[in-house]
Amino acid sequence: MRKHAAVLLVTLASASTAAITVRAQTQAAASIKANAPAGWPINHTLVVLDPAHGGTEGGAVLGDHVAEKDITLAVASKLRAALSTNGFNVVSTRDAGGSDPLSTDQRAEIANRTHAAACIVLHATATGSGVHLYTSDLQAPNQDPDLTAGFVPIPWDAAQSGFVRQSADLAVSLSTALGKAHLPATLGQAPIRPLNNLMCPAVAIELSPLAAPGAAATPATDGNYQQQVVNALTVALRAWRDSPALLPVADASTGGQTSAQSKAIAAAEATGRAAAKVRTSPTPPPAQKGPQ
Amino acid sequence: MIPRYQRVLFWILSGAILLMALVLLRGCEQTREKLTRHRDETPLSAPVVTPSETVQLALASDTDGSITLVEREIALPSEKSARAHALLARLIAEYSYKNSAHPIESGPAVDDVFLIDLPLHSHSGAVGSDFSGELQVLTGQMAVVNLHEAFTDHHTSGIESETLTIKSIIGTLYANFPEIQHVRFLVDGRSRETLNGHADLLRTYAVVNTTNKPAQGVR
Repeated sequence: MRKHAAVLLVTLASASTAAITVRAQTQAAASIKANAPAGWPINHTLVVLDPAHGGTEGGAVLGDHVAEKDITLAVASKLRAALSTNGFNVVSTRDAGGSDPLSTDQRAEIANRTHAAACIVLHATATGSGVHLYTSDLQAPNQDPDLTAGFVPIPWDAAQSGFVRQSADLAVSLSTALGKAHLPATLGQAPIRPLNNLMCPAVAIELSPLAAPGAAATPATDGNYQQQVVNALTVALRAWRDSPALLPVADASTGGQTSAQSKAIAAAEATGRAAAKVRTSPTPPPAQKGPQ
Repeated sequence: MIPRYQRVLFWILSGAILLMALVLLRGCEQTREKLTRHRDETPLSAPVVTPSETVQLALASDTDGSITLVEREIALPSEKSARAHALLARLIAEYSYKNSAHPIESGPAVDDVFLIDLPLHSHSGAVGSDFSGELQVLTGQMAVVNLHEAFTDHHTSGIESETLTIKSIIGTLYANFPEIQHVRFLVDGRSRETLNGHADLLRTYAVVNTTNKPAQGVR
């Protein structure tokens, strides 16, 4: 009897030690996921729309004294409706009733809390031609962050750096869809807020007049033109939702990670799975007391 | 039939108008003579002849979103920040020409250009908290371009147009001042969030080659 008690005590002690170790490893893994863009959890069905400007800040003036803020809001409303009917959850940083618009930093904060699959910043202009797609002008980091180091602080003005590749992929997807809809699109990089502060694949879309050979250009204020753009963007975002670029790094075949990163993530995920296994394993039934 | 008193009144008023015009003309002539008389035209300092030199301007085009390096022959002052000021003023003036590919309303655009050696230090000589952390870390020379508010307010509003203007300024500095590695923008001496609603003016830009089309020759 005393021998059984000693064995039980030793077993309990080793089990608790193992549990503490696994918990520490799990917390480390969680820390890695929370702070490293490569392990950033993404909600595949969530899109953040940011209709630029608002309130007293009207932006550019288009056509007959139409403010850019009204165009961006109109396009955002149309895009929101189209995405919602396609199974997306949409978060908008501005709506029609908002008299006091948020700053670009506040808009970025909203977007960063959502872990969105895409952040779309909407603009409109009276110059240029077609649809302009801009991504951040930040460079992708030369050295991949050491994921095993735990907490990695990310500067606010460089928050987008971990998503530069994904944003470029998203811009190409949007450009392709616009091209298929016979809407000319140009890709570029621009120093505009809040692109650099967003922790999501982010693209700024600027609607310019649609030039047509031998006819007057269709202005960005044209509702039909806006709807064509919205339809093309919806098609692109539906495809983007299932894109390999949004898969977790360890599962994606082309994540652009170093082998050290992949190993670190794989180890972290393995640790997480082990922890989950420990937590979810049923409690062993009490030993039935048999006749001694 | 016009009454006699109305005809008399008409001729009196016409005579008064003529008289007032003559008085006005005489007054103008007297003022001009007075100013001419007091003008000091003594040659106290020898005039400086600055030879023209070839500079490169990174010119933007709205049609294809390109930045092209073109050469121009202009006379520039010898002092470096004055050179940068004159060069950027000439660059913006190019955009106010009638057939400009990147039209900008004419008028003074650049108020001053200041050149600062980085990193900045506090007055005590040691790196302190007087300046933002970024300016204590960066090295090399930084140009601070102080723009006129009238220029930014009347600049075409839009991502492409504003971005091209910023890239054009950066490209021109890169082509003519290799020692300048960073540039910041002020508007009437104060920080401003955007150029005219879009391009970020709060950040420090790296002075890099922004051209994306082959260079053109002197004009």
